[in-house]
Amino acid sequence: MNNSIQSYKASVLEQRSINNKNLQSWLLSAPSLFWLTLFFSIPYFIVVIYSLLVPGIYEVKFQFSLQAFREVLSGVYFKPFFLSFRLALFTTVICILLGYPVAYLIARSSEKWKNFLLVLIIIPFWTNFIIRIFSWRIFLSSGGVLNDVLLKLGLINSPLEIIRTDLAVIIVMVYVYLPYMILPLYSVIEKIDFTLLDAAMDLGANERKAFFKVTLPLTSEGLFAGSILVFIPALGAYIIPQLMGNQNSLYIGQVITYKIKNIPRNWPMASALSIVMLILIAAILLTAYSLYIRKVSRKRYEIRQNI
Amino acid sequence: MKSGRIYKNLNLTVFTLVIVFLYIPILILIIFSFNNSKIVAGWQGFTFKYYQLLFQNTQIKLAFQHTLLIALLSTFVSTVLGVLAALGLENKRFTGRKVMNALVYVPLIMPDILMGVSLALLFNFLRVETGMITVFIAHVTFCLSYTIIVVQSRLKGFDNSLIEAAMDLGAKPWLIFWKVKFPLIIPGIIAAALLAFTLSIDDFIITFFTSGRGFDTLPIYVEGAIRRGTITTINALSTLMIGFTLFLVVITKRVRKLLL
Repeated sequence: MNNSIQSYKASVLEQRSINNKNLQSWLLSAPSLFWLTLFFSIPYFIVVIYSLLVPGIYEVKFQFSLQAFREVLSGVYFKPFFLSFRLALFTTVICILLGYPVAYLIARSSEKWKNFLLVLIIIPFWTNFIIRIFSWRIFLSSGGVLNDVLLKLGLINSPLEIIRTDLAVIIVMVYVYLPYMILPLYSVIEKIDFTLLDAAMDLGANERKAFFKVTLPLTSEGLFAGSILVFIPALGAYIIPQLMGNQNSLYIGQVITYKIKNIPRNWPMASALSIVMLILIAAILLTAYSLYIRKVSRKRYEIRQNI
Repeated sequence: MKSGRIYKNLNLTVFTLVIVFLYIPILILIIFSFNNSKIVAGWQGFTFKYYQLLFQNTQIKLAFQHTLLIALLSTFVSTVLGVLAALGLENKRFTGRKVMNALVYVPLIMPDILMGVSLALLFNFLRVETGMITVFIAHVTFCLSYTIIVVQSRLKGFDNSLIEAAMDLGAKPWLIFWKVKFPLIIPGIIAAALLAFTLSIDDFIITFFTSGRGFDTLPIYVEGAIRRGTITTINALSTLMIGFTLFLVVITKRVRKLLL
């Protein structure tokens, strides 16, 4: 009897301490919770509201209308979406093709070299984002260094028009997003137990088979993380197409920006297109494992920490 | 055996190509900042002229001050909020854990343009004039997720026996926090602050959507200059910015090494 009262008391006390701790957690989280709700979540509600309004010249008119979505469905914006999707896909694939060998080489080099090679890869990404894009304009422009060299060597007769093409956009996209592929790949390749590869080859697999049957499956997580980290931001690319691309074929990021920045402003259209982009991203993420999301986000933060 | 070597050579070739790919544009940019020519064309001789012009340019000076001010303010606020939230999230039975995790991780995966657009819409809806305040709010918003996660990961490696020892010795909770826990998580706090600072000075897209006319940060100024074609001093400015970031990174690594 006495015992059970005591244990009841203890459990009440324990519950009270859990409740106290919980309250404390709420209080500590409150400022961030408030900030992110106000400046991250609520803005998306406003995007939804604005997408259902009527555009004015500068501001929206607070009148309900489905015009923006009707326009979206009419297919006028199919091309920019397609271009952005294609750009994101190409960027991701090229990043994998370049990033995998690089990550593999770094991960398999000796401890002494590893850090040096990693730093060598990362240093360019410490440079400001805009300046990295600008440096490519100088390099690729028609009076730029690349054309100069090629002309002097007699390899071409007239300057190549690389800038203002989709090719220039892809080159710079790869340039900017490559570390987001290399670093996650590096971290998974580094963890591979390479005796497994030896075992596979002892059992008669050739190098190629061993790669596809052992190495690749073991690194799929990094491949997946890297692909998401490249593909999704690439889908929303605005400034790289703006500075490197052909202004006659706009990407969706440019279309959205023009709707907001150019007059007459079309806030509802920009909102509707943002919603379509959000839905696309959600679909991509959901088809991929929702379980992976946290892991991937963590990777991105790890990468940012290194850059 | 032989095929193994082929693969190794392939890796090495790709690696070398990637290194060339990564460094060439930046090196050319640095070299051409000393080129005595108004347009980007062949080498016309060495000059410091554009560096001198740079220091006379009041717009650039102003943009630099704005960048620094925003970076310092948003770093301070996002770090303080981040530390508090990370301490709150330490509690495994916290009932708001799921909501907080969603709010922390989802912004990380969103393309910058969506955060920029949605914030622009918020400020338009609230009829807030865009400028310093709105840029500051935006920067805190995208730095916050990062600072929370950095401090959180430092707290995960925390040795709780130290707290228990202090409690056994009769220390009050408040005293335990300031004398035991806080000193131990300082490296995490500094790492978070440095990350927030570099994110803030690097940002273009979100600033582009939330800054009004007349409030340029350096990236915004550079983009405008590229668009207007007044790029004579931009090479020099870029070279200095590269130098500045490298300096910052070296300092960061030093500080980290000292503290960890």
